[in-house]
Amino acid sequence: MSATREAIVLPLVFLTVTLLAGARLGAGVALVPPSLVSLVTGTMLVGALVRSGALAPDRLLHGSRSILANANGAVVLATLFAAAAQVLGMLTPRSGLPRFFVEVFLFVLFLNTLVARPDRVRLLRSLAVILGSALVLKFVVLASLSDPSGGRTARVLVALFDAATFGTIAQEPQSPGAGYLAFFAIALFLTGAAALPAEPSSREAGLSTIPPR
Amino acid sequence: MREPVIRGAGLVTSLAYAAVVAWLYATQPQTVAQVTGGFASIVGAYTVDPQAMADGLTFFRRDQFVEARAALSRADPAERDPRAQFYIAYAYYRQGWGRLYNDDALFAKGLSAIDKAIAAAPGGRLVVEDPALQMHSADELRAELQRGITREWSDFNPMRVFRARK
Repeated sequence: MSATREAIVLPLVFLTVTLLAGARLGAGVALVPPSLVSLVTGTMLVGALVRSGALAPDRLLHGSRSILANANGAVVLATLFAAAAQVLGMLTPRSGLPRFFVEVFLFVLFLNTLVARPDRVRLLRSLAVILGSALVLKFVVLASLSDPSGGRTARVLVALFDAATFGTIAQEPQSPGAGYLAFFAIALFLTGAAALPAEPSSREAGLSTIPPR
Repeated sequence: MREPVIRGAGLVTSLAYAAVVAWLYATQPQTVAQVTGGFASIVGAYTVDPQAMADGLTFFRRDQFVEARAALSRADPAERDPRAQFYIAYAYYRQGWGRLYNDDALFAKGLSAIDKAIAAAPGGRLVVEDPALQMHSADELRAELQRGITREWSDFNPMRVFRARK
């Protein structure tokens, strides 16, 4: 991995994700720190990246590297963790049963991923599906169920649905820009995750260990 | 030779960006003016607009409180000047004060403004020497605003109608 990518590109990408994913658009802009559950699932996400080989920590922090290079590596790891926690916090609904189920769903999913130990490509694909599904759930499905600006029929349906579920499903109305912001943050996070220093594949590792004749 | 330079520059840039992100989370600015004003005040380069400040004080002394707040807000767009925030809070107090009852909404806004003034004042101590005022310190004004929005038995004392606005 080039020094530019490690020292400049990855930290800036992950810090931007941390900033964007923490923003809650409303009457003003509020920056919300990650919840405790987001920190736990964020840790599991980073763990899954390491176990799948999508992230090789020894290519960021190692005794054979210079102090400056290790400092760059530490910044990448810290910003990756912050971005992961914030992205997962952003995708978790704010209240009610959806919040509970999404938190449990993400926890179990990352636990399963840690145990299954997929390879790098499969993990990144799986991550895109998980984050994309959570985006659709929160910013499309739940947002449409909580939209106060729909027509009369839509509002009646929303009110009936809210009454039938005892108000446990409906969420606070979202700003129209929130979904776009979330989409951009996820795309940036996945780009950064794909650009992390990976473990060499077994084929590459095997080739590199063939003794010269 | 080139790699250490890139790594060093990257480290400095990343740490600076991280500090900016942490600052944004801590201060929660709502406008671009608050962001730029916040950065300017960090480096000691923030100043209020003297003309708008003078306009605000003139309006304040004429009991034109809405106009005074508009001018003072223009003078201190980043809400970083303790004196301007003090006068904004005082304007909320005087406008919201009533002989029979106070306007809780205006008092609450005044409380928010005086908290900003105290936060921006060095050491949290702010004294404004203005003979037109009867409360000169931010602590007095804050306590008065706080008393105004607190419900207590003395609120029902009929002698309250004889009290004076400060």
